[in-house]
Amino acid sequence: MSPVAAAQGDLLPNERAFAFSARGLDEKTVEAHFVIADGYYLYRDKLKFTVEPEPLAGTPALPPGKMKSDRFFGTVEIYRGELIARLPLEHALPGQRVKVSAESQGCADLGVCYPPQLQSVSLPLPMAGSRPGSLVEAAPRKKSWLD
Amino acid sequence: MVESAPGRVLLWTLASVIAVAALGVGVYFGQRSLHPSAAPEAGDGASAVFGLTLPDQDGKEQAFAQWRGKILVVNFWATWCAPCREEMPLFKAAQQRLGPKGIQFVGIAADQADKVREFVSESHPDYPTVIGGFGAIELSRTLGNRVGALPYTVIIDRSGRIVQTQLGPFSEAKLNGILSQLL
Repeated sequence: MSPVAAAQGDLLPNERAFAFSARGLDEKTVEAHFVIADGYYLYRDKLKFTVEPEPLAGTPALPPGKMKSDRFFGTVEIYRGELIARLPLEHALPGQRVKVSAESQGCADLGVCYPPQLQSVSLPLPMAGSRPGSLVEAAPRKKSWLD
Repeated sequence: MVESAPGRVLLWTLASVIAVAALGVGVYFGQRSLHPSAAPEAGDGASAVFGLTLPDQDGKEQAFAQWRGKILVVNFWATWCAPCREEMPLFKAAQQRLGPKGIQFVGIAADQADKVREFVSESHPDYPTVIGGFGAIELSRTLGNRVGALPYTVIIDRSGRIVQTQLGPFSEAKLNGILSQLL
């Protein structure tokens, strides 16, 4: 990668580059989403999900990422684009609110890296037999003419 | 509710003037944040740097005031940042070559002391490194690092003014170009 002088105006803030959202899939499953902007990537080994108050039923399975060859870190697994992970809970909590948190760390192809980020959402789990809930975004886009 | 016609005209005129003024302010701030490598408020930023005291990797407090009068290149970096590590040999070479002419590189690591120690003992940057922890990111934001990503570099001239900021790694050509103008 050749060093590129990155214009500040080109780079997204952390929560926009790696936008986290989640929804209640059923009474004991949360579905976590990351939308990773084009030209950005997340490190798989830095991804961590937690749910409160109900613990997760083991470590959630993560989808396969892409392998990236890094001069310093060797071969690392990264994610680009959209990442969806199912988080099964220990016990069902039909209709109850849970807090879903995601820790992540990522970089931009332009040649910068962002510090670790913690994002959280609060959402209701569906009742047994109900449809999945809608996605709740951690950092919803606010329209502002100052943007 | 304004009933009379002239009263309404006045109200609309006032609202338009305020809107245009506010738009102007918005455009001004918008433009400032789009400029690559724009120099932020020189006076405040540089004095914030010279007022800093941070521990180096041996735990010894280093006051930035000791570097007044130097051409100071302050580089925010971290061991977890691959592009930061890629750019360091360039800084090391520049420090060795231009140190006698008054250039001083200082690294501020947004990182844990033990990781920095390990890295420094392997790579020997030949210029001081201080530990800022994750607070270093916030510090870099006050110096114009709007997105809070790394590497972020601030160059201060001999008279203590911030003359350049850079988000992302430097190319050799750009770094040498800026430094040679300041010598």
